Amino acid sequence: MSNEIQLEAIIEDYLNGKLKPEEVQAFEQLRNNDPIVDHKVVAHKVFLDSMKQYANVLLLKQQMDASHQKIDVEAISSKVKPHSSIIVRMFRNNKAAIAVAASFLFLAMVMLYSIKNQTEQDGSFKALNREVSQIKRSQNTLIRNINTNAQNTSVAPAKFGGSGFAISSNGYILTNYHVIKGADSLYVQNSKGVSFKVKAAYTDPVNDIAILKISDVSFENLGSLPYSIKRNTAGIGESVYTLGYPKDDVVLGDGYVSSKTGINGDSLAYQVAIPVNPGNSGGPLLDNNGNIVGVINGKEMKVDGAAFAVKSKYIMEALNAIPNDSLSKRIAYGKRSPLQGLKRNKQVEKIQDFVFMVKVYN
Amino acid sequence: MSIKLSSSVPTDREVVLGILNNSEEALNKLYTGYYPMVLQFILNNNGDEDDAKDVYQEAIIVLYNKIKSGDFELSSKLKTYLYSVSRRVWLKKLAQQSKKISNIADFEDVLIVEEDIEQHEQKDLQFDKMKISLESLGEPCKTIIEDFYIHNLSMQDICEKFGYTNSDNAKTQKYKCLQRLKKLFFQV
Repeated sequence: MSNEIQLEAIIEDYLNGKLKPEEVQAFEQLRNNDPIVDHKVVAHKVFLDSMKQYANVLLLKQQMDASHQKIDVEAISSKVKPHSSIIVRMFRNNKAAIAVAASFLFLAMVMLYSIKNQTEQDGSFKALNREVSQIKRSQNTLIRNINTNAQNTSVAPAKFGGSGFAISSNGYILTNYHVIKGADSLYVQNSKGVSFKVKAAYTDPVNDIAILKISDVSFENLGSLPYSIKRNTAGIGESVYTLGYPKDDVVLGDGYVSSKTGINGDSLAYQVAIPVNPGNSGGPLLDNNGNIVGVINGKEMKVDGAAFAVKSKYIMEALNAIPNDSLSKRIAYGKRSPLQGLKRNKQVEKIQDFVFMVKVYN
Repeated sequence: MSIKLSSSVPTDREVVLGILNNSEEALNKLYTGYYPMVLQFILNNNGDEDDAKDVYQEAIIVLYNKIKSGDFELSSKLKTYLYSVSRRVWLKKLAQQSKKISNIADFEDVLIVEEDIEQHEQKDLQFDKMKISLESLGEPCKTIIEDFYIHNLSMQDICEKFGYTNSDNAKTQKYKCLQRLKKLFFQV
């Protein structure tokens, strides 16, 4: 037994290199002569190596556990764990690919945009088409805020103003629907500065037309109307003018029909190159012969010199909605205007008594 | 000349030299430096935080053994190596649990590390054998053996600690324990 213990101790010292050189020599002699001893040496070496490895890994694990304690696992895992949303997960996994795709897309957009800008007006018109509602909103209805002290019957200053013109001698006035929309009370004021109370007799929101009836007792008959309504549509390039009240006095605007359609290809209206301002809404648009070709109703905000006018055809439609016997000496349709052949200043002189400022209170 | 020492992720050379010199600090830096990377991989591939810890520690042991064995060459980044080993270990574990994963979410480049992992598995087997053997050895043998071979206590220390009357008694006891342990170890 004690021999065995000693042998084991020597083997261990031998394997650990603790024997003296002469002892090593003696032991190796023994090992060569005795296979049992040799086998014991080999087995013990395997065991010691395993034990050493075991000890090392054990120590390593202890050290790693100590390091692990210092890590805020939750904070990191909340950052790197798969997001509940599959989109975010895809984004995280494919950041590089997405970046490439995004920059490609951006380049493509820039190129498309520049190509689009180079194409002709036709192309840009189509683009406008897509934004119908937006453009409609940007269409600036030409109602004017006015702060004038109204004379006669009115006490408070009018909130909004537009223009209108007589369509019969007994006080029917045509203007835009959007001018009088939502009004509590309405007045018209003639070129001499006299106001009359009016009531809406007919409204047509689709064509943006309203007909007012002067209900004031002080109103006197206007006499026969100097203008008539043009039966045919006006051609492009036809010179036209308008009278209106963008300020407290009547103002003449001169221009020409620039397109047979209004904003966004609206066939109800003309596009007119004419300087108009808030307050011109509802003013008559006349050709050189004194025929009414339309009613100014708006302009496009972002485009210079593009105003719009409702076509005369729709004025007639509105007129026909008023019972014929209530209109005395109504406006003539398709007839030769008494103004024909007169110079512009003479025409304006005759017309201005029939053009009114519409004052709206609400 | 200035050497920039990154506090979060050590350079590969620092780690290798540190491990060869048994530096605990180097190991700590290595461990904390790349843990988030492996955690991310495991969490995104059907695992939880505990899985990540196990897999990552196994990968570090593989790297540690490789460095210690002396045949480690810095042919790739340690980061890539650790990632590849962790990935392989985790995919094997998933296969053992017969969980299949159709498309692996990867975050780094991947090396082929089959050979290293096979070597590691054999060593791991030895480790488990030793662990089981020691546990079935019973007291006081387990503590005596651990004190002598793992904590490097001398026979004199053990003699005093366990209150043996003389060191021959202690030596006899240790011999008996060792014989039993070797028997267990080579049998398992």
